[in-house]
Amino acid sequence: MTNKMLDELSLAQRAELEREMGEAHDFDPKDPLFGLSRGDLSGPTMSRRSILRLMAAAGTLTATNMIPLAGGFSDAEAAMGGTLTCGWSGVGQIVTLDPAQINQVVQFQISSNVLSGLMHINRDLVGEGDLAESWEVNGSGTEYLFTLRKGVTFHNGDKFDADDVLFTYNRSKDKTKSIHSRVLNNVKGVEKVNDLQVRFILAKPQASFLTKTLERSSGRAMTIVSRGGLEKLGTAQYGLTPVGTGPFKIVSHELGQGVVMEKFADYYDSARPKLDKVVIKPISDAEPLAAAMESGDIQLIGGNPIAPELIDRFVANPDIVVDEVAAPGFQSVWINPWHEHMKVSDFNKPVSELMKEKGFMVRLAFAKAMDRDRYLKQARFGRGTAAYGTINPAMGFYYDENLANTSNQRFDVKEAQRLMAAAGYPGGKGFPTLRLTTTPSGRREASVVADILKRNLGVKIQVEAKEWSVNVEEFNSMKWDLRRSGSGGDFDPDDAIVDWMQTNSKFNGRKRDKTKMPFGYFSDKEADALITEQSTEADPVKRKALVQKANKITSDKVASIFLFHPANILVHHKRVKFPKQSRIPGLVDLDRVTMS
Amino acid sequence: MSRFLIRRIFGALIVMFAVATLVFIMLRLVPGDPIAAMLFDAGDPDAVDEIRAKLGLDQPMYVQYVKWLWYALHGDFGRSIYGSRVEVSRLVVEALPRTLSLATLSFIVAIVIAVPAGLIAATRRNSAADFAVTFVAFIGLSMPDFWLAILLIIVFAANLHWLPAIGYVPLAEGFWPWFSHLILPALAVGTAFSAIVARMIRSSMLEVLNTEYMRVARSKGLSERSLVLTHALPNALIPVVTVIGIAFALLMSGTVVVENVFAIKGLGRLLIQGILNRDYPVVQGAILVVSAIFVFSNLLVDLLYSIIDPRIRLQS
Repeated sequence: MTNKMLDELSLAQRAELEREMGEAHDFDPKDPLFGLSRGDLSGPTMSRRSILRLMAAAGTLTATNMIPLAGGFSDAEAAMGGTLTCGWSGVGQIVTLDPAQINQVVQFQISSNVLSGLMHINRDLVGEGDLAESWEVNGSGTEYLFTLRKGVTFHNGDKFDADDVLFTYNRSKDKTKSIHSRVLNNVKGVEKVNDLQVRFILAKPQASFLTKTLERSSGRAMTIVSRGGLEKLGTAQYGLTPVGTGPFKIVSHELGQGVVMEKFADYYDSARPKLDKVVIKPISDAEPLAAAMESGDIQLIGGNPIAPELIDRFVANPDIVVDEVAAPGFQSVWINPWHEHMKVSDFNKPVSELMKEKGFMVRLAFAKAMDRDRYLKQARFGRGTAAYGTINPAMGFYYDENLANTSNQRFDVKEAQRLMAAAGYPGGKGFPTLRLTTTPSGRREASVVADILKRNLGVKIQVEAKEWSVNVEEFNSMKWDLRRSGSGGDFDPDDAIVDWMQTNSKFNGRKRDKTKMPFGYFSDKEADALITEQSTEADPVKRKALVQKANKITSDKVASIFLFHPANILVHHKRVKFPKQSRIPGLVDLDRVTMS
Repeated sequence: MSRFLIRRIFGALIVMFAVATLVFIMLRLVPGDPIAAMLFDAGDPDAVDEIRAKLGLDQPMYVQYVKWLWYALHGDFGRSIYGSRVEVSRLVVEALPRTLSLATLSFIVAIVIAVPAGLIAATRRNSAADFAVTFVAFIGLSMPDFWLAILLIIVFAANLHWLPAIGYVPLAEGFWPWFSHLILPALAVGTAFSAIVARMIRSSMLEVLNTEYMRVARSKGLSERSLVLTHALPNALIPVVTVIGIAFALLMSGTVVVENVFAIKGLGRLLIQGILNRDYPVVQGAILVVSAIFVFSNLLVDLLYSIIDPRIRLQS
């Protein structure tokens, strides 16, 4: 926290901050739970003390993490009511708001304001009870008994109870009704204990169960849907105007023109939402988005990341607030291990052994030649964090800051050039031109990658922009040389390393010709085992060690050239008061937002 | 006349059938799997197959085609395969008034600029006014509409705060909200269109003004105003109407770029998003509507000929 921000706090507030900071660090470093009990790590929510202490243990607690306290004072003074008009950046239309069909962050940013889940993450990406009032876990970590909130109603007046949880579960596990059925693979069944209690039975313990499977926004599989709403509206209309139990209800939705939400007066927390009405307009082009913000047509920007070239313009505008935090995701340049000149047909060797293979030398040379600082400056206008693995800084507790220094991928041009020469391509001579596949909107950033590799290694790279539907098909079938892409909405380590780094990960060349390619872009038995183990490890401290070890292996063995972790930038008019408590990276929760 | 109409309508239906068939085949030949793209995040190969089967996309192409055609003949264009599976007819019906509003206003803007400009340029040939109109017309033609659109947004929305930067409001919510949201996009579209029409009016007028009957009319002592407006202009309009007819059809089929810039979900934007998502039913339905607009605009132009010039016998 800067001195200026500290000065704005009262003496009492500063004393409270210092006390919390001291308390967070007050533990025995040898204690595996850092002075926390199992109860501290259970629901209905993790306490602020627990979260700060875990962050302190991870060495990631800084004064900026204490900002919620500071934010809370001024938020309480903000006015109620009013209409907020938002622009959804880079979006042509909000195709669906039915959680069973939602496949984009821009969609669940909205649905998170309309629909509830049993759990919802907070700004530290820790799960808190939403419709779950409390929960108990059995000794083996395979049964969760949830007690639901009393008196919760849907927007159509229906009462919420255990049957709605069962209905949502049965709908979501049906592959023809939900695209998220796979998220529930580890759930063996859900039992109704009584109207206000449900029991989830898992096949095996799952560390991310609360923050991924049951999360209302990014999780989607168990975002509670309304039986009555679905029956009355039908699935198509429900997808446009879903009925939920969230703080806002949708009053109209015209595809491509916008969504209008109004305050739900019977929301379970009578203090929320503060706004009367929210209008969301999809705006696909960058310049009209900026003009709409500057003219006051819109007062807040959500949706896809704002074009980086606009950010400085907003920063220079005294009427506009630009708030930057780490985004939950990573971006990479993927290297096809089945390409003749970059071939690694078996990653199950020590790095020292792999270093003797020409294909691996080329991969590592690419990774070491990648000047991430230059990339961030040229492609992202200086915003974002250099990446060396999938675990992002927004995850805080699990993020490994030291990886930048310890990873095999750390920037070293001379070593990269030596590796290329050792592989038989000194100065890039004799190395074929590679195709770098990206989407049309990613062409500029891919060109920066091509330029850096040409500058540092002398290799020629041709950027090929392909539409998403073609791009995905090629990626799934491993028909590419290099590919620029990554992941967003990674709120839990499972979203990153389980989804991307295991041999059977869902993105790992799932439509490849398995007779020619036994695995997709990466496969390592040790990493597989560690990733599986971490996903069933309930102790966060032990889990952290497993996550970081797996992350390091994928980095050292160049599962991909990890490029950067994006910044999550929220832009709004200064009249809009967006409390720190609601500043969840990647989401736009508007229930506590006010306008002056 | 009625025979002519029946023949033309029959011809129009054949054209639409041919367009629909071609689009159906071409869409399936282009690479890109809509279901794989939609389910990329879900990562379940079994789900991809199950949903493909549920939507009937696993059936042979000719079966899909016959089914689609049969339902289309009954007015059912199917449902979008993306997201909430909304009815295609609903998407088209929602987009059509927006495109119609934008096209009509752009058309008015273009005519209001083009007719006087073309007349001035023709009647004052080689004068400063003629050069000015020609110069401005070339600029209008050369300037990309999206660039002009952004320029208009920056000036009138971001800086002067006179007009909204983006969006669309239906006419039912009041004339001014509707008009204020549409005037900037209409200017962006109409300017380039006006340049084409002004040039057409100029050259057509010059041709008519040099005909013998105009010299006779002039020798009879008719005023210049009467000469131009009563005798020259109606005759000069025949080739112009052809261009205007086609241009209006083009406007109705969607001004994709300007619709994107101003965040107006018209037919063009619907079509482009359908193509990008490989949303077959949406593209097929929207193309069918667009081709109908084209065909019937041309028919309207033919009918207008007979009103402007009674010598044109439609029966022949």
